[in-house]
Amino acid sequence: MAVSGFEGFEKRLELHFSGDNPLGLRYLAIDDLQQVLDAVQCSIVSAAGNHSFDAYVLSESSLFLYPDKIILKTCGTTQLLRSIPSLLHHAADLGLRLRSCRYSRGSFIFPAAQPSPHTSFSDEVCFLDAHLPAALRFRKASVMPSATSPHSWHVYSAADDEFSVLPPSGSTIEVCMTELDRSLARRFYRRKGDDRSGDEAGAEMTELTGIGGINPLALVCGFAFDPCGYSMNGLDCDRYSTIHVTPEDGHSYASFECVGGGEMMDCLRKVVHVFRPGVVSVSVCTAGGGDEGPVWSAVANALEPLGLSCRHRTAEDFPGAGTVTYQTFTAGRK
Amino acid sequence: MAEGGSVIGCHTVDEWNQQLQEARESKKLVVIDFPASWCGTCRMIAPIFAELSKKFTSVLFLKVDVDELKSVAQDWAIEAMPTFIFLKEGTIVDKLVGAHKDDLPKRIELRMPK
Repeated sequence: MAVSGFEGFEKRLELHFSGDNPLGLRYLAIDDLQQVLDAVQCSIVSAAGNHSFDAYVLSESSLFLYPDKIILKTCGTTQLLRSIPSLLHHAADLGLRLRSCRYSRGSFIFPAAQPSPHTSFSDEVCFLDAHLPAALRFRKASVMPSATSPHSWHVYSAADDEFSVLPPSGSTIEVCMTELDRSLARRFYRRKGDDRSGDEAGAEMTELTGIGGINPLALVCGFAFDPCGYSMNGLDCDRYSTIHVTPEDGHSYASFECVGGGEMMDCLRKVVHVFRPGVVSVSVCTAGGGDEGPVWSAVANALEPLGLSCRHRTAEDFPGAGTVTYQTFTAGRK
Repeated sequence: MAEGGSVIGCHTVDEWNQQLQEARESKKLVVIDFPASWCGTCRMIAPIFAELSKKFTSVLFLKVDVDELKSVAQDWAIEAMPTFIFLKEGTIVDKLVGAHKDDLPKRIELRMPK
C-alpha cells in the first residue's frame, strides 16, 4: 500500500428540491455553476444533456443536474460539502426549496490528506447540520457497519419529512472497487506521445476496456486523464451512470454508480468483470424503503459467481432517502 | 441573421433549406449546432462555438434550436445535446455529441477542405 497518492474514494452529495419552475436546476447559469465548483475545487471537463438531465464530467468526478435534484460526486481532496451554501443560494434564486439531502462516502484510503470539513465523519456531520436549513428537521448519521470496520459506508441524510414524499427515483447503486487487476488497470493509462484530446482517448478507452458494453443503449462521455485515470458519464433516458478510475498500483480504485431497475444487477456483474477487483463494496439506496433481504440476495447472486464472497452485510433506514444497504465482498484468490 | 460570432441561426425550415443549398453549392464545410434552450450543457458551449466561427472563416456555422425546428431535429435524430453535425456537399461526414471544448476545434480542422 502506497504511503500517499490520489484518493479515489468519492464524496457524494444528493439534494432534492421542489418548486414551480419546470426546468428548475437546469436553468442554473454556467457562471453560477462554475462558482459552486470553485468552492469544491474542481472544474468542468466535458458535458452532455438530454431531455431529462444535464451530465458534467468534472476534473474530479461528476455532476448530474435534473430539474429537481442535483448529484455531485467528487474525489481526491476536494471539499465537496463547501458547495452547499452557494448551491442553496442559487436554488433559492430559481424559486427552489430544499426538501432532502443525502451525503455518503466509503472509507478514505488516505484519510490524513483530507482537508476540512472532511477531516472526519463527525466534522462532516457538524458541517452539514450547520449549513442545511432548519426545515430539514429529520436527520440521521450513521457509519455502516461500524466505525472500526476497515471498509465502512458513511451516510448522513436530512429531510423535511421522515418518509420520502417526492416522486420515487427508484434505486441507486454505488459500487467501490479496490485492488484492481493490474493488467486491466493498465488499460487506463495514456500511451506515451499520444497527443489526442482527453475526449478522443477517453472514447477509445471506453470501447477497449468493455465499459461501452455495460449499457449499450447509453450515450457515454468518456474522458482519459494524463498520464492516467478515466471518467465517464452515461445518459440513458432519465437514468445516469458514472464510472471513475484511479489505476495506480498500490491505491488503485474504481467506482460505478447508476440508477435503474432490473438491469442494475446485470450492470454490476459487467462492471466487476471490467476491473476484477480484490475488494468490492456495494451500497443500494431504495427510495421509499422496504425489505433489504431481496437487495442483499440480488447483489450476492450477481457477485458470488465471479468468485467474490460476502464478508458482511448491513442495512439501515434514513429519513428522506429510504433504505440503504451495504455489503462488502472480497475475491477468493488471495 | 448572425447569432454571435458568425453563427447563422436558422429559425424557419425555409431558412434552413436555403443555407444548406448554398453550402452544397459552395462546397464549404458546414458545422451545425443543435442546442436546446433548457439544456445547461448547450449554454456552456455556445460562446465557444461563436469564437470558432470567427476563427474558421471558410466554414459555415449554423445553429438550429431543437424546439424551434422540431421537424429538422427529428429528421436528424438529435437525442442528446449539444450535437454538432458536420456536412460536406450535403453528406454527413462527422458527428460530435456533447460539449467537448478541445475536440470541437480539432474536428473542424480535420474536416475542413484542404
